[in-house]
Amino acid sequence: MMGCTQFRTAILSNPHDDRADLELHAQSCGECAQYALQVRRFERRLEQALRVEVGGGRAAKATVVPFRSRGPNPRRRMSVRRGWLAAAASVLLAAVVAGAVWLASPESSLAADVIDHMAKEPGAWAVTEVAVPPPMLAMVLEEAKARLRPSAGLVTYAHSCPFRGHQVPHLVVQAEGGPVTVMVLSHEAASRPMHFDEQGYRGIIVPVPGHGSLAVLERGSGSDLHAVEQVAAQVQGTIDWIS
Amino acid sequence: MKAANGGNEKSTRFHALCQSLRPELLRFAFWLSRDRALAEDVVQESLLRAWKAQDSLQNDDAAKPWFLTIIRREYARCFERKRLVTVDVDELIAKEEPVLAAEDDRVAEIRAAIFKLPEDYREPLVLQVLMGYSTAEIAAELGLSNAAVLTRLFRARRQLRAACGEDSPMDPEEAGMNPDDGRAEARE
Repeated sequence: MMGCTQFRTAILSNPHDDRADLELHAQSCGECAQYALQVRRFERRLEQALRVEVGGGRAAKATVVPFRSRGPNPRRRMSVRRGWLAAAASVLLAAVVAGAVWLASPESSLAADVIDHMAKEPGAWAVTEVAVPPPMLAMVLEEAKARLRPSAGLVTYAHSCPFRGHQVPHLVVQAEGGPVTVMVLSHEAASRPMHFDEQGYRGIIVPVPGHGSLAVLERGSGSDLHAVEQVAAQVQGTIDWIS
Repeated sequence: MKAANGGNEKSTRFHALCQSLRPELLRFAFWLSRDRALAEDVVQESLLRAWKAQDSLQNDDAAKPWFLTIIRREYARCFERKRLVTVDVDELIAKEEPVLAAEDDRVAEIRAAIFKLPEDYREPLVLQVLMGYSTAEIAAELGLSNAAVLTRLFRARRQLRAACGEDSPMDPEEAGMNPDDGRAEARE
């Protein structure tokens, strides 16, 4: 005959355990039946908690909800509130200043973010002839609702990267002069093509009407952007947008 | 031509598998690593390894455990390679706040509490609750005895309930649980 401790231990280890002896015990012990209900109620929230949104940049869009307060000391409440107001004011001021700077040159700020991202993935620049398997490439591009025809060239790197709150495809195409990076920025509209040459990277941000923009860049500096422009045109000509 | 068609079919099948399993694999990697960016990397590297080894997957029904095993290995490899430093768990929670946030405060609270669980308890819990693994399947995946798995699951839930203020006087003590909670060297 199963005891209460055994029953509760089993339920806590596996709330969905439906062995007959557990069922029998629950029928004969009201407290344990109540306990099982309580554990299963918690389990439903646990299941919900584990189902986080992690894919496709949705997570970054999730609303930030503060954790439940455990009841602050009432005497501290006022000073805490003042602290929050001061912090909120500083954040607002910083946001206004940053926003003004950003609005003054949004596209150069986009280029700077693209370049910053390059530093995080130095391995992407490897010169290689090993193509990314087509299903992998397709999967990465699906984040941006895009497909690339094989004539785009030899794609040797394809990752879905977090960038400005979205997951964006980060590709490397092997061009004649070496690897060229392409970032498919379907969330970043650009008003005109913009060249940049900063921090050892040079490239171009190309507007793609209705689909944001492409950032195409290579390592090195100087005014010869032939390879970059060629890859940009090649990718633009071979990319299909899935509506 | 036939070979090319076969290759396409294989490629399409693999793509479809990856697409359907990717959200779950990402979630698993996220709870394992507690780092969304790292989880993305681990899953992408794992899919690449899976692509290279796809001939060893005989049956699509076995795809999920097959991918999960690859992800666990890739994460371990990543851990070795990057020599991931110990980070304060509150910093991890703050960093991943957008992922951990939920409309229901109680759900967000559980998420934060899961982050604080030791990996030994977190992993079997995720395998059981999220991946639907049985005790025996978790034991096989983690190289533990069934009793050790049940002990870890019991402790995981006790800690979560306590962290969320939901522990109760009816909660059982650990008496009678598998005392060693260790690896099952002698498991046949």
